[in-house]
Amino acid sequence: MKLLKYTFALLLSVTLASCSTDNDDDNGSEDLSGQTGELILKFDNGVGDQDFIFGTSYSKSNNESFKLETLKYIVSNVRFTDSEGNVFTYPTEENVFIVNELDGNTAGEIYVTLNDVDAADYVSVTFGVGIDQDRFLLGAEGQGAFLDEASEEGMLWSWATGYRFIRLDGTYSSDTVTDAPVNIHMGSVGTSLDNYREVTLSFPNTVLVRETTSPQVHIKADIAKVFDGTTSVNFADGYDQVHTDNVETPIIADNVNGMFSVHHVHND
Amino acid sequence: MKKYSLLLLGCLIIFSCTKESETVDYVAIPLEVALPDNFPDIVYNLDNNPVTEAGFELGKDLFYEGKLSVNDAIPCAFCHEQAFAFTHHGHNLSHGVNGGVGFRNAQPIQNLAYQTSFMWNGAASHLDLQPIIPITAEVEMGETLSNVISKLSADSQYQEKFARAFEDGEVSTENMLKALSQFMVMMVSSNSKYDKYVRQEDNVTLTTIELDGLNTFQQKCATCHATDLFTDQTFRNNGLPVNPLLNDTGRFEILEDPNDLYKFKVPSLRNVEVSGPYMHDGRFTTLEVVLDFYDSGAVDNGNVDPLLLRADGTYGISLNDYEKESLISFLKTLTDNEYLNDERFSEY
Repeated sequence: MKLLKYTFALLLSVTLASCSTDNDDDNGSEDLSGQTGELILKFDNGVGDQDFIFGTSYSKSNNESFKLETLKYIVSNVRFTDSEGNVFTYPTEENVFIVNELDGNTAGEIYVTLNDVDAADYVSVTFGVGIDQDRFLLGAEGQGAFLDEASEEGMLWSWATGYRFIRLDGTYSSDTVTDAPVNIHMGSVGTSLDNYREVTLSFPNTVLVRETTSPQVHIKADIAKVFDGTTSVNFADGYDQVHTDNVETPIIADNVNGMFSVHHVHND
Repeated sequence: MKKYSLLLLGCLIIFSCTKESETVDYVAIPLEVALPDNFPDIVYNLDNNPVTEAGFELGKDLFYEGKLSVNDAIPCAFCHEQAFAFTHHGHNLSHGVNGGVGFRNAQPIQNLAYQTSFMWNGAASHLDLQPIIPITAEVEMGETLSNVISKLSADSQYQEKFARAFEDGEVSTENMLKALSQFMVMMVSSNSKYDKYVRQEDNVTLTTIELDGLNTFQQKCATCHATDLFTDQTFRNNGLPVNPLLNDTGRFEILEDPNDLYKFKVPSLRNVEVSGPYMHDGRFTTLEVVLDFYDSGAVDNGNVDPLLLRADGTYGISLNDYEKESLISFLKTLTDNEYLNDERFSEY
């Protein structure tokens, strides 16, 4: 019995020791344990080489062009990997955001501000577009304030259907039609179709999160890739209206997943 | 020791017994369907399906229930969102399971207890039977009634809810449809600015431009958009150019009477500000475009309503710019924010 007690004590001290070493030895002399800081993700929507502007016509493949009045998407499960391979995950409950082009500053950048991020030297960010099944299965009551936010932003079907992960509303024109409606409302479909995807983006240089700095990560989203990404799709073939189709929505989900890149980071 | 075990066992048995014998009883707390002073007589026969609290709540649950569809993910509310007077906002045509695209624009759900027929072509003549159409349509919910009932029957919560709502307590098609009707007949929109003005409530007045619009409306629109329901409930061909992709013959589908070609039910205009896009195929996205159509866009498709025939032989309703502007101002007085935000009908 006594032996067992000692074993426990030993085990406990080993665990404690490993915890503390995790935090401080990565940064040479700098002690970051217990330190947290702010990190800002700046989402910047564009179309190819152009900045995205509402109502502007952009051409795509198949001699089609499109103009949008609504451009928003859900980003969730943001986490960062540091130079030692440790992963910091933002607290689950707050780890879901709507990136709405309408919320952009004059430069068209939408800020997602993350507070209390563990101080570390981060080399990459991972996030999902949309809502994963674990979060969906928490039910309408388990969504916290995000349910209302998503509902007000028009990013929620009825609960049984779930969230719209991306919402593009506008019109398209081609050789044969002018200003026909475009509504891309891709999401998972209840539990019957999972369109949640995650992307990991490496930083061109290390992002230093400290108590005294708020580094910014400038993420570009190329909206052209929604239609001309991994797979090119044509409005004329039915991709003008994308809602719950089990062929179309996974293709759009994959395309959306590939539209992000980190342009640069600021360590101010 | 043995004694205690027995005692414990006894407790357990008693517990499990009480749990099983805890049947839910039918509770008939009546709810009153609104009968606004300025409305025509109610059509729905409430005696055959009196609305109760439990029936209404069950109907609401079913309205937001994905199990009514084949993939468990497309409830009625998918195409009927409250903020837009229960329409499929921004969608010209309805969408359904597996990306199915319907043929028509989802209609608002409001004041259905006062309607004599349902759907754009009047395919349903009784409200209790209307939900069968979207539930079983391949491009909408794609499910069978028997399958819906077997899914609901397997759910203990629904077993209790049906028991509370209906005397026979059964999870059956009849009770499901009755519950949906109980929810829908309660959905009365009658508290717009216009309603308060005509009922002389709260000292509500209309502005000059709204009154001018009302005046134009009464002269040029109210024959078809009649009564304070803003529909005479007839089927009419308003001279829309036929969309060859859909070639929707409307009311003709029902009786195949050539006189019914391209006729659609005159829609109510309540909450019209938020229920776009407009027309049976949602081809017009704004009210301005709708009025421009009536002024100069109608075509002779062979069966246009004679009421729309003008002296010069063309079809339409001539409107000058101010008439259009004031009509739209008037139509916006039909927006009923109390209804659009009524928590009794909200999912959350």
